[in-house]
Amino acid sequence: MASGDMKDIKRRIKSVQSTMQITKAMELVASSKLRRAKERVVQARPYFQTIYETMARIALDTRPGDSIYTKIRPVKKSLFIIIAGDRGLAGGYNSNVLKLAAAEMEGKNTSIITVGKKAQEYYAKRPVDVLADYPGIAETMRIQDTHDIVQGLLGQYQRGEIDEAYICYTEFVSPLTQEARCKKLLPLSFAEENSGKGKAQVLTEYDPSPEAVFSAIVPEYLNGILFGAVVESYASEQSARRTAMESASDNASEMIENLNLSYNRARQAAITQEITEIVAGSGQVGA
Amino acid sequence: MATFHLKVLTADRVFYDGQVERVIVRTTQGDVGILPKHIKYLAALGIGGLTIYADGASRVAAVSGGFVDVSEENTVILARTCEWADEIDINRAREAEARAKAKLQQQLSAREHDIASVKLKKAINRIRIAEK
Repeated sequence: MASGDMKDIKRRIKSVQSTMQITKAMELVASSKLRRAKERVVQARPYFQTIYETMARIALDTRPGDSIYTKIRPVKKSLFIIIAGDRGLAGGYNSNVLKLAAAEMEGKNTSIITVGKKAQEYYAKRPVDVLADYPGIAETMRIQDTHDIVQGLLGQYQRGEIDEAYICYTEFVSPLTQEARCKKLLPLSFAEENSGKGKAQVLTEYDPSPEAVFSAIVPEYLNGILFGAVVESYASEQSARRTAMESASDNASEMIENLNLSYNRARQAAITQEITEIVAGSGQVGA
Repeated sequence: MATFHLKVLTADRVFYDGQVERVIVRTTQGDVGILPKHIKYLAALGIGGLTIYADGASRVAAVSGGFVDVSEENTVILARTCEWADEIDINRAREAEARAKAKLQQQLSAREHDIASVKLKKAINRIRIAEK
């Protein structure tokens, strides 16, 4: 039965090889996409840093309760924006962020906005209140695209349909580490770390008034945060996929090595057996 | 001539970063000029022009949305969109203008009307800046 074994092994080697070709190709695609995504993250970061700092400063300057965006009200309904990928085969990327979102939503009366096909598919099968889906926007995302989402969110918040809003995304820490995060968007809350020394400084002039400036900047701020979260998530997705495909390719080549070894063993066994048979046969003829 | 540090940021790039002599920018309240040693100042931006005077020359850009933040150390303009006059694709701007005008002729909900009129304003602003 040795030749049957050999055929079997050969077939398996072929199938593993073709899988490896695919994973290798996906790895290359993911790393080139990752390079572009990383550039976007780097270019976008100064903007978000500044917008966050400015927002925090204004929030400290104005009294809490001056604006509906900072007033904390009893929570009856929470909104979650969940950002996941458009495709699978990215290691734990999609499941990590979805798991975190599920944990955060535990025990809350929630509605959901999804970004990315995987999040859409996941929640389509579950009994949750999905307000809107935005599949397939991450790759070509521009800041204008987040505008719709933010407008909808603010409208609902102003009408009191939701009392708080969160965003779940994946932070791109480095090409090797990505971390699923959940951040509170509304009501705005900033840590008052240096409020003590900040107060005595020169007062800032707001044109026309602190409240008006505040209300005008809040949408910008949310836009920025949302855009940043999508950009970070997209980079995370690509790098998670690259890592997953890299290890898949490694595993495949290891498997091929092992299969080659057993193929050679089987071949050798077959030859040995044949020789033994011939020798035994010739011995019988000679006798 | 006295100068101050100006940074103009958009979500996808650092638009401008350097010493300038004077900046004129359109806020929601109208054009505001900023000179060195300006008081701390914060305002939301409207749709209009941004003129930067540096090294004796001036450059014009079209901005829409965002805010300007003047502090002692530097001035930061965070814009939703921002492009130099010579970067504007005038044909695209004209098309956008025509589209928005056509849209405004139709029956629209209040929200759609708002969106279309903002688009029209942006297109007109870009054309105006580009032709200056």
